[in-house]
Amino acid sequence: MSVAIGAMRLRGPVLAASGTFGYGTEVPLLERGALGAMVSKGIFLRAREGTAPPRIAETPSGMLNAIGLQGPGAEAVVRDYAPLWAEWDFPVLVNINGESASEYGELTARLDGVPGIAGFEINISCPNVEQGGMFFGNDPRAAATVTEAVRRRTKLPVWVKLTPMVSDIGVVARAVESAGADALCAINTFVGMSIDLNVYRPRLSFRTGGLSGPAIRPLAVHLAHQAARAVRIPVIGIGGIARPEDALEFLVAGCSAVQVGTATFVNPKAIAEVHDGIAAFLEARGFPSLADLPRYLPRD
Amino acid sequence: MLDAPVTGKRQVARGMFVIGLHAPEIAASVRAGQFVNLGWEAGPLLRRPFSVFRAEREHIEVVLKAVGSGTAQMLAMQVGDRLSCLGPLGRGFDFGSGAREALLVSGGLGVAPMLLAAREARVAGMKVTWVHGARTAAELCAEHDGDVVVWATDDGSQGTHGTAVAAAPDTDLVLACGPNRMLAAVAERWPNAQVAVETYMGCGTGVCLGCAVPLRRGGYDRACKEGPVYRAADIDWSALPSHLPYAVVA
Repeated sequence: MSVAIGAMRLRGPVLAASGTFGYGTEVPLLERGALGAMVSKGIFLRAREGTAPPRIAETPSGMLNAIGLQGPGAEAVVRDYAPLWAEWDFPVLVNINGESASEYGELTARLDGVPGIAGFEINISCPNVEQGGMFFGNDPRAAATVTEAVRRRTKLPVWVKLTPMVSDIGVVARAVESAGADALCAINTFVGMSIDLNVYRPRLSFRTGGLSGPAIRPLAVHLAHQAARAVRIPVIGIGGIARPEDALEFLVAGCSAVQVGTATFVNPKAIAEVHDGIAAFLEARGFPSLADLPRYLPRD
Repeated sequence: MLDAPVTGKRQVARGMFVIGLHAPEIAASVRAGQFVNLGWEAGPLLRRPFSVFRAEREHIEVVLKAVGSGTAQMLAMQVGDRLSCLGPLGRGFDFGSGAREALLVSGGLGVAPMLLAAREARVAGMKVTWVHGARTAAELCAEHDGDVVVWATDDGSQGTHGTAVAAAPDTDLVLACGPNRMLAAVAERWPNAQVAVETYMGCGTGVCLGCAVPLRRGGYDRACKEGPVYRAADIDWSALPSHLPYAVVA
């Protein structure tokens, strides 16, 4: 079930979403055998503490999170994780963040060429930082500027993770495609809020958080489909995937691969189960390969 | 991760119940202070973390109160119903200090890790004193262990009138679990105490960073990996939420 994402060949279509698989080293409980690729926890150039607790709140069929991109910074990733990634039999892309386009560029330059780092996922969609993040992702010009800043500093694959908090995702998708992105990841979390009626204040210390989980899946399928219709580069579908049929919805909607995120929290075997279930589906329906799966991609 | 059938349920205090599970691998390896993350079909999205209360032969037990809809669903389960059980997780209590006496201080649901702690302290050759506090006599856990057992109630209806921390003697090794406000008082009196903290948890395996525990030296680490047991003085108690439902259940 290998798939091509631009020039990158992945052994399978199911990837680990950023922020839900750590740096891949955390626990043997997390099964890596079926992974097409892993996207690391989002990092900035410098270490970040993250937000104060409470950082998560469960909501109907979903969860809000405001972790605030806690992380050790680029030097620690290069020193502590990249050497491990270099030994693995699937590629690891680093989810990169910055407060300005030049900071994204600087981070890319620091990581480019480091063995073990196979590519970049530009995060212009994190809802939980005061500067940068989503504010780049909901402005097509800013999104393109960040993409160009990264593109100029690497020949490795550059994916751009889009925010759903836009009025037309196709506009942003085309802007970052023109700026040199190799693929799009659609979508990051929706901004949400939940109130604790015992204390009359938000359940998260950051007030708002990113909503993920099955609650957002139909929204995500729709937006991934819109993005896939808007561009020629591959789209990687994300949003509430927990079972094989969830992933298949994104694939039929026009995505080339998928990322599994929140489901991994609940079921450490989720990625393996989604991968195996897609293979079983293809066999049961008589499709020789993933490429034979019908795609719903009408063009106007 | 294993699929564990419920083997029994019993009440141990007003509103407080013990649920037994057949979980051989976990029963064989769990240490005091470690936890399991439980999920079930048609349950809430996220798993729910519980300290292991007992572990004997092929069975483990957890203790809980109905705090929200998830725990209410668990309490409605019948023998034979299945819980997906992830664990044992986290870092438990350390008994390697060479102390001769262990003091266990628990408040309300803070009894959760103490039966295993008493057992391991004895194995390490320590005399065990257990001080258990609750709001009223009816809320004191009926199951306990210790060479000396001291009760404390907020209303004076059983044992010492006042908190468990106030009722406790001084000793070498202090292990505590209970509401965050109680643990903050433990940290004041015994900076070197080992405390098991409770937080909201996403994954329980170290990847989501949702269970952040604020540290005195700055920054956060994870209750599910570096914790849930900490040196009391290492935690920034003023930054650890104490208003959340789980943190005030006593």
